[in-house]
Amino acid sequence: MSVSITPRKKRNKQAVGFLPGLLADKKSRKIVAPIIAIGFFLIVWQLFSFGPDANLPGPIKVVSQTWELIINPFFDKGATNKGLFWQIFASLQRVAIGFTLAAIVGISLGIVVGTNGFLFDALDPIFQVLRTIPPLAWLPISLAAFQQANPSAIFVIFITSIWPIILNTIVGVQQIPQDYVNVSKVLQLSRREYFMDIVFPATVPYIFTGLRIGIGLSWLAIIAAEMLIGGVGIGFFIWDAWNAANISQIILALVYVGVVGLLLDKLIGFIAAKVVPDEQK
Amino acid sequence: MSNFVEANQIDKVFFLADGGTYVALKGIELEIRKGEFISLIGHSGCGKSTLLNMIAGLDSPTEGVVMVDDTPVKDPGPDRMVVFQNYSLLPWLTVRENITLAVNKVLADLSKEERQEVVEQHIDMVGLRHAADKKPGQLSGGMKQRVAIARALAIRPKLLLLDEPFGALDALTRGGLQEKLMQICQENHLTAVMVTHDVDEALLLSDRIVMLTNGPGSHIGQILEVDIPRPRKRMEVVNHPSYYSMRSEIIYFLNQQKKVKKRQAAIKKGAIARHGLEKINLEIGFLPLTACAPLAVAKEKGFFNKHGLEEVTLVREASWRGITDDIAAGYLDAAQMPAGMPMWLTLGGMDNKSIPVVTSLTLSRNGNAITIAKRFYDQGVYTLADFKAALKNSPQQRHTMGMVHPASLHNLLLRYWLASGGIDPDRDVNITMIPPAQMISNLEAGNIDGFCIGEPWNLRAAMAGIGFTVATDLEIWEGHPGKVLGVREDWAQAYPNTHVALVKALLEACYYCADENNAQEVRQILSQPKYLGTDQAYINLGDPDLNSCSLDHPMRQYAHHQFAGVGINRPSRTEQLWIMTQMARWGHVPFPRNWVEILERLCRIIEFSTAARELGLLDVSYQRAPIRLFDGSVFNTDDPLGYLNSLEIKHELYVAEIALNNPRPKVA
Repeated sequence: MSVSITPRKKRNKQAVGFLPGLLADKKSRKIVAPIIAIGFFLIVWQLFSFGPDANLPGPIKVVSQTWELIINPFFDKGATNKGLFWQIFASLQRVAIGFTLAAIVGISLGIVVGTNGFLFDALDPIFQVLRTIPPLAWLPISLAAFQQANPSAIFVIFITSIWPIILNTIVGVQQIPQDYVNVSKVLQLSRREYFMDIVFPATVPYIFTGLRIGIGLSWLAIIAAEMLIGGVGIGFFIWDAWNAANISQIILALVYVGVVGLLLDKLIGFIAAKVVPDEQK
Repeated sequence: MSNFVEANQIDKVFFLADGGTYVALKGIELEIRKGEFISLIGHSGCGKSTLLNMIAGLDSPTEGVVMVDDTPVKDPGPDRMVVFQNYSLLPWLTVRENITLAVNKVLADLSKEERQEVVEQHIDMVGLRHAADKKPGQLSGGMKQRVAIARALAIRPKLLLLDEPFGALDALTRGGLQEKLMQICQENHLTAVMVTHDVDEALLLSDRIVMLTNGPGSHIGQILEVDIPRPRKRMEVVNHPSYYSMRSEIIYFLNQQKKVKKRQAAIKKGAIARHGLEKINLEIGFLPLTACAPLAVAKEKGFFNKHGLEEVTLVREASWRGITDDIAAGYLDAAQMPAGMPMWLTLGGMDNKSIPVVTSLTLSRNGNAITIAKRFYDQGVYTLADFKAALKNSPQQRHTMGMVHPASLHNLLLRYWLASGGIDPDRDVNITMIPPAQMISNLEAGNIDGFCIGEPWNLRAAMAGIGFTVATDLEIWEGHPGKVLGVREDWAQAYPNTHVALVKALLEACYYCADENNAQEVRQILSQPKYLGTDQAYINLGDPDLNSCSLDHPMRQYAHHQFAGVGINRPSRTEQLWIMTQMARWGHVPFPRNWVEILERLCRIIEFSTAARELGLLDVSYQRAPIRLFDGSVFNTDDPLGYLNSLEIKHELYVAEIALNNPRPKVA
């Protein structure tokens, strides 16, 4: 019976053609479908740019105008005239420093506040107010405080990404199952052992949620901050291109910013998948 | 040996968010010896986990103190290790790491190698070598619980506390773990306290079962000793003769807890007076037996209504215990009782507390027999004398006879029958209380050698070829009282007209049952699920079904139920006196010095006479002859003490004045 069924199935597949066949298969569809969507988008975009009073270049024009930048991301002609790799690298460096600081301070603060009812009651309203402040609103204050562009930008990253980390860590600590707390009580774990063996591992899933939101916010903030403070960085690159009326460069930079943001998010997600045990997910 | 754990007058009050308080536990007194296994059982929310947590130190009592090993419990500690309901393993650690964390912390004074050895040894003990490096997320529920037990035992606690440890497991896994736990506890002489919902689990594992009443203000309602010898096997404990009686004891307790609230609401409703009767809303208790026919008929055929009792509810109880408890608590207005129960309650048979109960009507006579196991028949045991010889020939064996309640005539008749043949019912055999429905299975399993019980159980034992009827009522005491109507004396005092109306309704029903023309209809009524819920073939009212007990020899004539007739329904002081002497004879109650007063108060002939006269029945005059029993002795009513002293086989007698409360005058 089964012998006669198998060839018939094959025949059916051949009959529907190549593209629909790819779309029918769930795995290949995940790749093929977005490609179709992007292609469609590019075509529409290109069609619009043909208009007589179009202000923005079409995709073909963008690529041809920025071809130098695309094929040569590593050039360094001094000052701010550097390849896109170096621009993004500079931005990532600031994010790395600011975000790392935010993670360290945010997690520690979150654990302390989460375990202490008094501190939580005292600080939670303040956190709730501060977290709603837009990243750029911090910039003048930090410039006034640090007097220098680079530390100010790092501070903006720090202050933007710290709130989700703190708040998620607090929730994580407060959500520790009573069972784990009971285990630590029965075993009479010391306070340090309790933090290291119970609180921290139990909170890890929540911490990673906070980190993931934080990294997204910090990448948002760095672009805006760099536009204002200048120097090397993808944000200032965009601002510079605007001043030079080079719309194609701006569009290229936007694509790069989007892709890097996505990669950062995936990176944190990947680490979380490695670290968080199955049962806590 | 002194107590290892002591809970002294523990109260636990929770303060609610709205400012109120909830008293969870009230006045808990519990003492646990070293090496004991205790189960806490009760309905959800009765505070059993709270009690466990207080012993663990995870929670503290509002009042009172818990002592463990003569030290007051203030904080949790590893000497009182808890096995939590949901395992409480740390999911980011492997099995080995979970155990190691505990061992490293608690056994810190051991060397690293020794600690490692302890960990590995306990992994092997629960058979998890193959999963030692897995994380809890990869384990099944049973395996997780094994890890939790290994972790608990690895730190060598003095006291093991288990909070519904097997609640979430499937039956097979649970069974295996229960046996493992028992074995471990026994080998290590552990003291353990376990919270459980599972009656069979409690019986299997425990030395004592502590039953908590429902909250608010839960307290210990009862403590049951489980005397099943160890080591126990899961499949074998059920064959222990007292297993099912203990099991039904616990289930009875739990059911009773459920009913209490409903009953209290019913009482609050109060008495409804109508038609010149003080109370027409009555709750009448009965047991699903053939002998409950008059009550069922009075209800179904409208005799209650006819006499003005318009709101009668028949309350079906599962055991005589239910009747005594609910009469004592005042939940029932009246009840069908074994003939000895009013006397037993009045003389303080229940917890040595006298509850004056009166009877004004005998509902049925006869219907009982004594059955012994078929193997005696095969050995040629046909009579009492043969039975005695058979017992003598096997002195190394413990012989056990079953009966249903100490206050029932079964108990008294069985003892009288044994004693008349020279068998001391307390020394030569062992008389144990078993619910009727479990009698036959116990006989079949060889847990008991025989029983005395009402029909249809003798019949069924004979039909199944398990036992044979060695004596019926005809051979012991033809026409003995079976079931009577019992009410509390203070109730009779408060509702005299209602009392007479009740007797009238039931007396008329008795006559209805006794009429052979109605037999089929009565059978049909009784077979309904709210009464007996059994096949009509098992309901034997009048003529015996001779085929069903047709053992070739000895074929016994069958004494059937008598529901009505001259001298049948009238309560008899002579009979009650006989019951009184027999109960005193076996030490169930003291013999009352004021026996005349008690008899007069207990037998309410006046209500019966009034009822009979008003119904036009000619059963008013008293003409019963003295009781003649099968052994030829005639019971002398003038000198009961002399009679008791003349008996050879008896328990040590004690005589006491039973002070009955003066019945309160009725407040209208």
